[in-house]
Amino acid sequence: MMADPHLLTILVFFPLAGCLLVLPVWKRPAAARPLALGVMTGELLLALWLYASWQGLAALKPILPGYLLVEDAPWIGAFGIRYTLGLDGISLLMVMLTAFSFCVALAVSWRAIGEKVGLFLALLLAMETGIMGVFLALDLALFYLFWEVMLIPMFFLIGIWGHGRHIYSTVKFFLFTMFGSLLMLLAIIALHLLHAQQSGVATFGLHQLIATRLPAGTQLWLFGAFFLAFAIKFPLFPLHTWLPDAHTDAPTAGSVILAGLLLKTGSYGLLRFGYPLFPQAAQTLTPLFYTLAIAGIIYASLVAFAQEDMKRLIAYSSIGHMGYVAIGIAAWQPVALSGSIIQMANHGVTTGALFAMVGMLDERAHTREIGAFGGLWGKIPLWSFFFLLFSMASVGLPGLNNFVGEFLVLSGTFTKSPLAAGLAFTGIVLTLVYTVRLVQEVVFQTERKPLPLADLDRREICLLALLALLVILMGVHPAPLLDLIHGPVKILVGGAP
Amino acid sequence: MNIYLALILLLPLLGGLCNALLGRLLPRRVGVIVACGVIWGAFACAVLAFVGFTGPVRVELGSWLAAFSFQAPIALYLDQLSLGLTLMITFVCGLIHLYSVGYMQDDPAWARYFALLNIFVFAMLTLVLAENLPLLYLGWEGVGFCSYALIGFWYTEEKNATAGRKAFITTRIGDTAFGIAIVWMYQLSGSVSITHLNSMGALIPAAVVTTLGLLLLAGAAGKSAQLPLSVWLPDAMAGPTPVSAQIHAATMVTAGVYLLARMFPLIGSSETVRAAIALTGGITAFYAATCACCQRDLKRILAYSTISQIGYMVLGVGVGALPGATFHLLTHAFFKALLFLGAGCVITALHHQQDIFRMGGLRTKLAAVYWPFLAGALCLAGFPLTGGFFSKDAILGGVAAQGGALYGGLLLLGLFTALLTSFYTFRMVFVVFHGEQEHSLSPGPLPQIMTLTLVPLALLGLCGGLLNLPAYLGYEGVLDGFLGSIPGFGGVEQASHADEIALQIVAATLSLAGLGLAWSRYTGSRRADALAREATGPSGAGFLLNGWYLDNLYWALVINPFNHLARFLWKRWDEAGIDGTLDGLARLTARLGGLPAAWSTGRVATSLFGLASGVAIILVYLVWVTLS
Amino acid sequence: MIVPLEHILILAGLLFFLGMGGMLAWRANLIMMLVCIEVMLNAVMLVFVGGSARWGTADGQLFAIFIMALTSAEVSLALAMVVYLHRRRKTIDTDRFSEMKG
Repeated sequence: MMADPHLLTILVFFPLAGCLLVLPVWKRPAAARPLALGVMTGELLLALWLYASWQGLAALKPILPGYLLVEDAPWIGAFGIRYTLGLDGISLLMVMLTAFSFCVALAVSWRAIGEKVGLFLALLLAMETGIMGVFLALDLALFYLFWEVMLIPMFFLIGIWGHGRHIYSTVKFFLFTMFGSLLMLLAIIALHLLHAQQSGVATFGLHQLIATRLPAGTQLWLFGAFFLAFAIKFPLFPLHTWLPDAHTDAPTAGSVILAGLLLKTGSYGLLRFGYPLFPQAAQTLTPLFYTLAIAGIIYASLVAFAQEDMKRLIAYSSIGHMGYVAIGIAAWQPVALSGSIIQMANHGVTTGALFAMVGMLDERAHTREIGAFGGLWGKIPLWSFFFLLFSMASVGLPGLNNFVGEFLVLSGTFTKSPLAAGLAFTGIVLTLVYTVRLVQEVVFQTERKPLPLADLDRREICLLALLALLVILMGVHPAPLLDLIHGPVKILVGGAP
Repeated sequence: MNIYLALILLLPLLGGLCNALLGRLLPRRVGVIVACGVIWGAFACAVLAFVGFTGPVRVELGSWLAAFSFQAPIALYLDQLSLGLTLMITFVCGLIHLYSVGYMQDDPAWARYFALLNIFVFAMLTLVLAENLPLLYLGWEGVGFCSYALIGFWYTEEKNATAGRKAFITTRIGDTAFGIAIVWMYQLSGSVSITHLNSMGALIPAAVVTTLGLLLLAGAAGKSAQLPLSVWLPDAMAGPTPVSAQIHAATMVTAGVYLLARMFPLIGSSETVRAAIALTGGITAFYAATCACCQRDLKRILAYSTISQIGYMVLGVGVGALPGATFHLLTHAFFKALLFLGAGCVITALHHQQDIFRMGGLRTKLAAVYWPFLAGALCLAGFPLTGGFFSKDAILGGVAAQGGALYGGLLLLGLFTALLTSFYTFRMVFVVFHGEQEHSLSPGPLPQIMTLTLVPLALLGLCGGLLNLPAYLGYEGVLDGFLGSIPGFGGVEQASHADEIALQIVAATLSLAGLGLAWSRYTGSRRADALAREATGPSGAGFLLNGWYLDNLYWALVINPFNHLARFLWKRWDEAGIDGTLDGLARLTARLGGLPAAWSTGRVATSLFGLASGVAIILVYLVWVTLS
Repeated sequence: MIVPLEHILILAGLLFFLGMGGMLAWRANLIMMLVCIEVMLNAVMLVFVGGSARWGTADGQLFAIFIMALTSAEVSLALAMVVYLHRRRKTIDTDRFSEMKG
């Protein structure tokens, strides 16, 4: 089998082509929705096809070790910027997650978005291209381009279709992210210049830049800039305050993508670029990273407990869950890193599902206040059943997906830093505390306000059943995914301290 | 063997899934038959496994967690201990399922009930059969979840839902310690396989073994409701009574004992750990027995007695009397399930009345319940020659064999607790069944299946002693012999025969003394007096009634500060602190931007002035450059 | 006769400041302001032409022609806008217009 490297270009730009296709039918939601769904499903099928054939691709041994597919072409010759896309196990996992999350986001907004549908769909598709690019780019300039591309549609998504203080939230989200990414841009350029000075070759390619020899001080500054950009996206305590606002005021689709994908770009960037480029600096900053991650887990769990808005509570829980991803990366140890990567996918599915479910409830009741609900098990049992399932997945009940990631992270981290892992373990109790509070007050007890609620319709059942199946499958049989990332993790860890 | 083991786990799981997913579509009869059928099917498989059992086997059913050196497959390990427990669990749970058919006959949510009950059995069996610790942890958390969902089964009452939540959170505090222990063991040995870890004991530094043992003890204390994590079990009685029997008496709460016994070859080498385990068990046994003496809710009495009896088992593990602890675990499962099911019959017959002071005189009206209940009570009180008598003595004999001040004290404490146990047990029996009936509650009819299931349990409880008769009768106990080959179970220090006989005489006397004390107080002429005094609440009873105010202590020390801290962090720190600072920064930037913006008034005059002054400045500069 | 560059620059400077002074003085009348701007532009053109003559290249003259074309376009547009403004607001006093406030 000869794999065509242009597949990666198709993977990245197919949604953008879809975006252009949607534009002519801008004003007709009935035509635009199926079209967008078709494009996103096609993208998902392409990703799944790549997954189905990954072992065959791995056997072909492309130019870069560990990669399944690499596409490389000159782009802006004067600065040595190349169009380099590469797919390895980690990015394949992220690509599948992306394609899947966008389908979920479209499905949850099928009815919920009634205004400017065409624009909404076009923005979603444009964002899909940006995120796919982030997960595939191996040239830092290209990476930065996609990094900014994915930001802009999200800005409009929250700004136009959001509720509450959506303008405030979207500007806050934009400023936070831009602040970090501009520093990262500076660091990228500095790295490029330093490399050119040393070797006389102008390049932005990741694998060339890794070879740059940097004095410890410089490395620390550059890594600091990368770290800041990624830590904001993560988000790490205390840079997290944009997230609850953005989530609360975003439309459901926006929340699904924020939680499912945008947060992952931070962790992905750190393990793909930050650590390999600056190994010594990363090692120096590891204690800080641990501290922030653990503080985030404990702090976010405590704050989540006090929340009164369901979406805000889940947003804070996201910060806590991403804390586990963070300590897994900080440990930089194969088991922990595998756990972190699996946890990235798991968190995307579980939290995405929870946001989708809160969105469904919001559509019916027009409120997300915890105090307005109660006794939903008696009124909408199907909704409650799924909500309980995803909540239990979120607290890391073994047999469901989150446990796999969290436990591997903690096991691996303990071998490097018993203290950090031990402290992170307390998060397991705290997560349970706020989650069962949410479940009890919403699903159990008796109804507090008489709300006319209808149970799930067929579209919602299909969607949630699919997510539930994934949650269980990834919890019971994570081996295929662990196999997929085994090789790349080995390479990552082998090249670092 | 493989197929039996797989079926033992799969049948309950499939039954649970069937009822969970299709329960709303199936007719009640089909769902119930499926639920009971799978458990009895599992029991049949367990019996077949027992028949074919020749020695410990390890069976790998599939892969689960596998990343680099961390390997935790879905692997089962069947040895004498797990086989014995599997038989007990499937049998007792099978009976309780049958009982539930009668108990839940009017409840519309039967599908959810049986689904959870089946999944509980699956998780419990996974816990017992797991070959590695993460899989054991899966069962461990799985039973915790089922317990949570079943305690809050009648979720519309806030009290029930809160009790479920309390149980889940309290046990999870212990689970955290257990989790840390697992990853620590992985770090030490690169493996999480139980058999492998147990063979590692000698290679691990003593201080580490001690810490690991204490962590596991904390985990066990959460699940088995030992001090200081015991507070959830009395509240857990909010669930349906068969659930209390199955989960909170016979099976799940003994998981902690199982864990400690399972890991004993590793942690037992530390003197400190053994002493800590024994001390926890002894003190818990005493604590719960005192509390049980003053309760007035039938199920809470049984709950405290469960805590107390598990305290005995933990004490037994602490002194290394593992066969004794396992023996007590088995007999306790029979007689405590029996007592709970009997209590369920009483409560159902009296239309959900649980206050023992509103019962009385039920001996003739509920004879079919009275006799089995009495059998269970005799076992619990350690009445001579019942199963409970022998198993409790096996533990106390182990304590006596240790010697030393600590264990001497624990022996005295254990004996005193035995007296208390006998007293509160018969207090319960006499108040509920003897005397005249208080108030005007007439017992309603009971489904026959509920009373019938009591009989086999009563027989097993009474004759349980045959499982393991004391050594002085001339031959080795069946159970001792069966379990002896497991690492850690053999070579138990035995008291001499004379000591053991003396101990049994003392224990028998204490049991009879408790019986006599209860008899003189709660029957005949003094009954009315005693009841009246207790109903108004004598001084000091509040302390025992409320479980030594442990709950209040935790509210004051943990829960209230937690609530306040959470609110404080959100409002003052997150919103006012971080966000406030950043918003302030944004406002400052906006104001700074406003300063030059004030110049653009939109009037041409201002612009012209700017142009002219710019030109002037350039000229001045040029002049200055030319001159200097 | 070759006129020295200095003289041309002095003349251009005088013209420029004349234009600027006129602008500052005639703020009340938009038409006069436009005239003054033309004077300033002419000063600049003069510099270009002078420079072009001094160094013997055509660049400056080219620029001068450009500026001529631009100013004619600009003046015709500007005058049209002045007429429009006058029609709307009945005044061409620049101090009355401040909608462009930042």
